[in-house]
Amino acid sequence: MTTGLGATLVRAGRRLLSSLPALFGVLVFTFLLMRVLPGDPAVFFASGPNAGKEEIEQIRKQMGLNKPVPEQLVYYLSDIGHGNLGRSMMTGQPVLKDLRERLPASLELTFTALLIALIAAVPLGVVAALRPGSAIDHGVRLFCALGVCVPTFVSGLLLIYVFYYLLGLAPDPTGRIDVFTSLPPSRTGFLSIDFLLAGDVEGWWAACRQLMLPAVSMALFVIAPLARITRASMLVSLGSDFVRTARSVGLSWYKVVVTYALRNAILPVITIAGIVFSTMLGANVLVEKVFSWPGVASYALDALLSSDYAPVQGFVLLMASLFVLVNLVVDICYGIADPRVSIE
Amino acid sequence: MRFVSFRRATSVLAATILLLVATAPSQAQTRAETLRYVTGAAVNTLDPNIPGSTRESFALSMSTYDRLVAFGRKQLNGKWVFDLDTITGELAESYDVSPDGLKLTFHLRKDAKFQDGTPVTAEDVKWSLDRCVTAPILGKAQLLTGSMTSADQFKMVDPLTIEVTLPKPDKLALPNLATVYPIIINSKLAKEHATTDDPWATAWLKEHTAGSGAYILETFKPGEQVIIKRDESWNRGSASKPAFFKRVIIQSVPEPATRANLVERGDADLVVDLQASDVQSLEAKGKLKVISTPQYNAITFVSMNNQLPPFDNVNVRRAIAYALPYDDMFKAALFGRGAPLFGATWPDGKPLTGIYPFQQPVKLDLDKAREYLKAAGLPEGFSTTFSFNVGQSSTAEPMAALVKESLGKIGIKVDIQKLPDAQMSTQINEKKLPFYTEGIVAWLPSTDYFYRNFYTGNQRWNYSSINNPELVAIAQEARFEPDKTKYEEDGRKLNAIHNSEMPQIMLWQPNQDAVMAATIEGYTYEFHRQVDYRDLSRK
Repeated sequence: MTTGLGATLVRAGRRLLSSLPALFGVLVFTFLLMRVLPGDPAVFFASGPNAGKEEIEQIRKQMGLNKPVPEQLVYYLSDIGHGNLGRSMMTGQPVLKDLRERLPASLELTFTALLIALIAAVPLGVVAALRPGSAIDHGVRLFCALGVCVPTFVSGLLLIYVFYYLLGLAPDPTGRIDVFTSLPPSRTGFLSIDFLLAGDVEGWWAACRQLMLPAVSMALFVIAPLARITRASMLVSLGSDFVRTARSVGLSWYKVVVTYALRNAILPVITIAGIVFSTMLGANVLVEKVFSWPGVASYALDALLSSDYAPVQGFVLLMASLFVLVNLVVDICYGIADPRVSIE
Repeated sequence: MRFVSFRRATSVLAATILLLVATAPSQAQTRAETLRYVTGAAVNTLDPNIPGSTRESFALSMSTYDRLVAFGRKQLNGKWVFDLDTITGELAESYDVSPDGLKLTFHLRKDAKFQDGTPVTAEDVKWSLDRCVTAPILGKAQLLTGSMTSADQFKMVDPLTIEVTLPKPDKLALPNLATVYPIIINSKLAKEHATTDDPWATAWLKEHTAGSGAYILETFKPGEQVIIKRDESWNRGSASKPAFFKRVIIQSVPEPATRANLVERGDADLVVDLQASDVQSLEAKGKLKVISTPQYNAITFVSMNNQLPPFDNVNVRRAIAYALPYDDMFKAALFGRGAPLFGATWPDGKPLTGIYPFQQPVKLDLDKAREYLKAAGLPEGFSTTFSFNVGQSSTAEPMAALVKESLGKIGIKVDIQKLPDAQMSTQINEKKLPFYTEGIVAWLPSTDYFYRNFYTGNQRWNYSSINNPELVAIAQEARFEPDKTKYEEDGRKLNAIHNSEMPQIMLWQPNQDAVMAATIEGYTYEFHRQVDYRDLSRK
């Protein structure tokens, strides 16, 4: 007999293994897709005022585009095997270095946004489910609808306008830290953690202030699905036999709602949170652009517009790997939330 | 319960406000001595010669490296712009041109030092210029336009004198040495990092600087920001003293509205790439200094592929030229911020000037356009596409809509194509686009240079793919024409051909709108269309 933890780990390992073929597929597919797309990166990057045919050939050679596609693919796969994702023409840096620097920025933003969204959405959903059809329920619905209707860049620009431009409360929306603040030694890449590790409270506060507006504008957008799913799931849970029983034996309101109903209702919320997280990571490009956040999504978009192959391929691979990881974490969370669950 | 719900619903916002209140941003005391420049683009290499380097990289290299010579500046309609005709020494204390124009001799400054403290010698200059014409880098094609093609042309006379020999007396040789690419590199330092595969240390110089420029690189985060600090011993500026600002922060802020907010709030000192609408409203508020200079070395076109039917017919091209709603386009795309290149009147039908670009005698005249279409044998019109790239959409999108509407009136059906930048440049290079809008820029704007580079040969920059032997012959001849009156005459001939052939339609020269804090002084429009940080100071 394996213990509960052991079983979870074995399950996680098996899951991880079974996702490898999918990752490989993503790798090859992205590689081919980038080459099928119209647009020759060599021509784009040779745009100096005198760049002619010779310069274009030069760049093509530099990017390895002068070789036939199958040969390029073999080189690419062998490079990946050696942990080399290629070099970005756009930033002039190795893609791996770019991603390593930018991923923590995106993760920090997304985690914060998700946290804000969950803290806001779960109580909202629960309150709405407790009084379905009431003014509160409608209020929550209205709030969610507004959150979804307003695209993130609009809410972002709006927040900037109010909190930075009009009120002057927020710091200038340019990246992760005020340009005049010196950075802490990079340990985790998460500025809020690095500052704390360095014991620099002022710096930590500056980083948090910088993080707030983009995180809130992202959170506003995802509160809706989380709150709605919490509400729906709570309604089912509240109407079930065990809640009726719990009520009938006179358990406290808190015990009935939180311990019994909510714990049973939380599974779909976790699933959605996982999906929302992965989507946010890739789709927060607008927020990253508006707040000049040096994250991976805006990096990938810029690369895509200029047909810079290596960064786009690196980004897709990174996203696919993260997706696998997030799903894994969601699976493990299932096990913790509901010990009966065992997904094989 | 109503209140509970209200509280919960707004908890997020309330928390935010709490977090944002309190402490004002801690600013260093040196804020007044720091220049914060924000831009939508980014620096991607420290050596401007690397293929693919951006305009921001060009601008950075102007401050981190010195060249032998530099352009002076002059006032044009009350605004400072670079002056192609005044070439001052930078690393060269003085220079001589031999009477036959075949020899340029440069005398180096005795006190010039690289940023690592070693003196700048003729050996470094020779190595740097050799690199520029030998290594597979951007400088090669640039120096070619000044008749510098081989390392043999650069000779060390003594440790402080260098001689450049030319095959022909080329007017553009000296100005070429003041452009972005021929940077003078610390050759000892660079050679330490050269490899057999890379004898010119291009890989190392891409990520390190080894120059004698006014500013020393402090941090370089590609795609995010670059911080440079002043070199106190630098004295190559016109005033013979170090640059004004102690530090310059060059920060990438992709969203134009945010850039506008930053400069309006005083958090940024200078920005040159705002949207025309933002510039207009900032100018109206009057708090900031707005310096608008028509980019007199850049032109925006509506181009037609002269080899593709129906645009191979000159009458079709003329019809288009008379069917564009110039004034509306100028207002919609640029809010009128620029210098128009349409609507001239030529009393005797001859060009008024030998300078290119010139104002063309075209205006919206649909009846005339219909006549030309009839003459072309296409009275019913035809269908075509009009393309522009995503990067230009803020100006090109409203313009394209007006083109479509107006051409529709004479029976030409236009489909608007918005292409990603890389795709657009590929299609232009392959000569596949029939009808589109694009822009050009020349660092050394002279009439023959424009015609030779943008109207000659089967190459990418010949947008209209025009193939006119007469035009090519005159332009080539004009290149080495020492006599100014004859040069002017050649220019008029070329302009007359342009107007009768109408290979493409010049629209305007957009303004460079530099928006800056009221305290910033010395802004100059430079040939690379970016900011030269060395020009600036604070009151």
